[in-house]
Amino acid sequence: MAAGSTRLRKSGCAATEPKLNPWQRRTPAAHAARRVGHVAWAALVLAPLTGVLWAAVASAWDAQAWAELSSSPLLWPAWRMTLWTGLASTLLAYGLCAWLLSRTFALPLWARLVRALGPMLAVPHAAFAVGLVFLIAPSGWLLRAVSPWLTGLTQPPAWLSSQDPWGLGMVAVLVFKELPFLLWGIASQLQRDDVGLRLARELRAAQTMGYARHTAFWHVVWPQLVPRMRWPLMAVLAYGLTVVDVAQIAGPSNPATLSVLAWQWLQDASPVTNAQGAQAGWLLAGTVATAALLWASSATLTRRRSHMLRGLRGADAAKPLANAGTAAIALLLGVYGAVVLTLLLSSVAGVWPFPQLLPQAWTWQGWRSVGGSLGTISVTLILAMASTALALLWAITWLEWAPSAWDKAMRWPLALPLLLPSVLWVVGLHQVALRTGITASWGALVLAHTLAVLPYVVIALSPAYLGFDAHCAHISASLGRSHWAFLTRVKWPMLRAAIASAAAVGVAVSVAQYLPTLYVGEGRFSTVTTEAVTLASGGQRSLVAAYAFLQWLLPVLGFALATWLGKPRRFATSI
Amino acid sequence: MTFALNRRNLLTHTGAAALAATTPWALAQTPAWADIEKKARGQTVVFNAWGGSEQINAYLAWAAAEMATQFGIKLEHVKVTDTADVVKRVRNEKTAGRATDGSVDMVWINGENFLAMKKEGLLFGPFAESLPAFKFVDTEGKPTTRIDFAEPVAGMEAPWGMAQLTFFADRAKVPNAPRSTAALLAFARANPGRVAYPKPPNFHGTTFLKQTLLDVTADKDALYKAYDAAAFAKVTAPLWAHLDALHPHLWRAGKQFAANSAAVRQMMADGELLLALTFNPNEAANEIAASRLPKSVYSYQFDTGTVGNTHFLAIPFNTKSKEASQVAANFLMSPIAQARKADIAVWGDPTVLAPGKMPALDAARFTSAAVPGQVDRTAPVLPEPHGSWVDPIEKEWLRRYGA
Repeated sequence: MAAGSTRLRKSGCAATEPKLNPWQRRTPAAHAARRVGHVAWAALVLAPLTGVLWAAVASAWDAQAWAELSSSPLLWPAWRMTLWTGLASTLLAYGLCAWLLSRTFALPLWARLVRALGPMLAVPHAAFAVGLVFLIAPSGWLLRAVSPWLTGLTQPPAWLSSQDPWGLGMVAVLVFKELPFLLWGIASQLQRDDVGLRLARELRAAQTMGYARHTAFWHVVWPQLVPRMRWPLMAVLAYGLTVVDVAQIAGPSNPATLSVLAWQWLQDASPVTNAQGAQAGWLLAGTVATAALLWASSATLTRRRSHMLRGLRGADAAKPLANAGTAAIALLLGVYGAVVLTLLLSSVAGVWPFPQLLPQAWTWQGWRSVGGSLGTISVTLILAMASTALALLWAITWLEWAPSAWDKAMRWPLALPLLLPSVLWVVGLHQVALRTGITASWGALVLAHTLAVLPYVVIALSPAYLGFDAHCAHISASLGRSHWAFLTRVKWPMLRAAIASAAAVGVAVSVAQYLPTLYVGEGRFSTVTTEAVTLASGGQRSLVAAYAFLQWLLPVLGFALATWLGKPRRFATSI
Repeated sequence: MTFALNRRNLLTHTGAAALAATTPWALAQTPAWADIEKKARGQTVVFNAWGGSEQINAYLAWAAAEMATQFGIKLEHVKVTDTADVVKRVRNEKTAGRATDGSVDMVWINGENFLAMKKEGLLFGPFAESLPAFKFVDTEGKPTTRIDFAEPVAGMEAPWGMAQLTFFADRAKVPNAPRSTAALLAFARANPGRVAYPKPPNFHGTTFLKQTLLDVTADKDALYKAYDAAAFAKVTAPLWAHLDALHPHLWRAGKQFAANSAAVRQMMADGELLLALTFNPNEAANEIAASRLPKSVYSYQFDTGTVGNTHFLAIPFNTKSKEASQVAANFLMSPIAQARKADIAVWGDPTVLAPGKMPALDAARFTSAAVPGQVDRTAPVLPEPHGSWVDPIEKEWLRRYGA
């Protein structure tokens, strides 16, 4: 087995070996010109990022407010609640993702699961929270379904099933929302042949050596995927620790999470309280960074501890386990289905007292209002398409031409919009827009959206892009084709599934932007999300639910389009 | 709902017809005002106003159409979720040196947001009391039109609408609503877990604290003067004693609180709670009209009075349309616009005007038929305590119950 694992490691490294570009000229002048190009291209993104970070630090860092913050009795309970909900949801989603993959990897079930991810990813977090809370609340749909005939309840019981003091509801919402994202992250890794096909081959090889399927998965497949999951996982971790809307809907109010507290303080009219909120934002940023670093180092540690060498084959229990996988996927889809159904019903529900299963009165007001907001779709689409196109242009150019060391170094700054709490990010963004005098312009908005979209596009695109078989380039070059012809005729067409999927995620991220659109656009640009969030502040469930569909619609169309574009080409076989 | 819509359309037409016929209140225009109206023509007013209510958005859409046809002004409603955001945006603009060509021309505001903007010199004015429509404002009957949370308005914002703490309940479940702070405590005892209030510093939660404090303290006068640290313990001790008695009987035994008044209203509609609270006396009537609450819901106020205030329109210092903003504020304060706003089928926001001060033709616009859900008998308005008390009270509440 020792020889086997060496072989595995070698082939695992093949993708990261420097690929020689057969068209690259190796004169010093050409080298210098390339360097200038790399610097300029990196600067396109680094300049605004640095500006935003600097402005955020300059206008939101206040040493005096620290004293006030640390003496607040609310701080530490809130921070503990943040740590618990953020870490528990991330670990659970991660564990479930690994477990689900172990049950479906290299099986037809996996492909079916991947096809279902788009619509799940497109459900807005806040809408999912509203729907799930309405399912499980004491006056929720589940209890209505069995009341009063089974439970004897004619009034909602005093259960703690909504906004429970332990944050379990919030953890559940986050797990259900992040699990599809992590699975999608894995799917984008498995898209590349040198990972997906190779891992499947290695799994089979291990099985022929007598390892049970799931033993082989945990020893051979999963350890190779862990390091590749770093960035999607960081995104999930940062989101779980800093999210505001989900915490407000499904999280406990006493103590609230630190993100909610920071948000409330930042919403206050008094600059002193604002400063305190900004410091809470920095504390959150520090928490995210610490958790991310701890995670990164612990992942390295567990990778070193190889349990592959013990040779234990494990008992084969593949059959019932595959069934468990099917059951888990059915549960996931079932929960999403129930949430979407609940939202659909809520969107037309008028008077609807407990314990009636269906509303007493119906209202189309929510949908009429959505109809009145259809005009915002064009603004939303223009912003989403422009920012996604720019992000793709930058990302493809960068991944194609930047040296791999440069690319690695760029990953942390690129992730800044993900890791910095959105409240701080938007403060910096607004200051930069104000000082350059570009607020409330299309250009500024597209730029703000592009910066938010870019990290997701890079996360989505780079696995397949960097894993592209280098042989194809050499074959093209040896056939006398130019670099450009190779890219447009061979590489990009072959990568169109990955590019389309990255674009779909870009569109989804752009559509969901709220604070940047509001601040940089000075409220003059209405998108489906700004419209939905503003109307949601009135707290009418039918409106929230109807708008959730509007918010869901555009990304889901994006994902559907991506799936269609990414279909493998079929060749005529009549000859 | 179709009924309400038809009625709304009907009103638009009758309103426009009446407007075209005569606008008597505007006859006594000063030359200066005519000049302002002339300059305002062609300007755009970017109006930042809370956009969380469809009725309000529809009303502002009507106002925009009127502004366009009558004054040649483009009124653009920027829907905001929180006015503090607008304050921050204007403050940021001042910091960045944008003294003209600001992004906000008019803002819907009151209380601490107004206080912040006034103190920091972020407002244009004084302008309100020189608007032609101001002479109809009920400054005597509604003193809060000139004093915003104990802060003198001094013409820096124009009164727009009235608010008063109001409760609502379903007659089918609560035939006799608790009409005092003491009765509310008894009600909570009798119905454990069925009463909740939003968690301060949420606006409605804090208002509930002020109401309770005004009802239980022996030293009311101190609350209308600036905050006095030495007197704080003595003035507020009855409040904490009352809350200590109340909390064990609240929703989730007073350990969790609702996030905002909308959450309380939703839980009341779902049957988890028996009472809800609002600052718009006509909210329940609106919800009934939208068939989100049953017709058996009614609104009520405490017999000895509830906390009330006025909301206003202010103009930021760096507006690019000083004239048009004033014309817009004047129009929104005019009898026609105020009467339409007060109509429950449209919005149901009580007027700041005194119908007795205006010509009979205008005053007649303010009579409307009673609708289900309306406040059954109106109680006196208790003015808001001085704004400086809010922060210490919220802090103390959070220290005692907030973590």
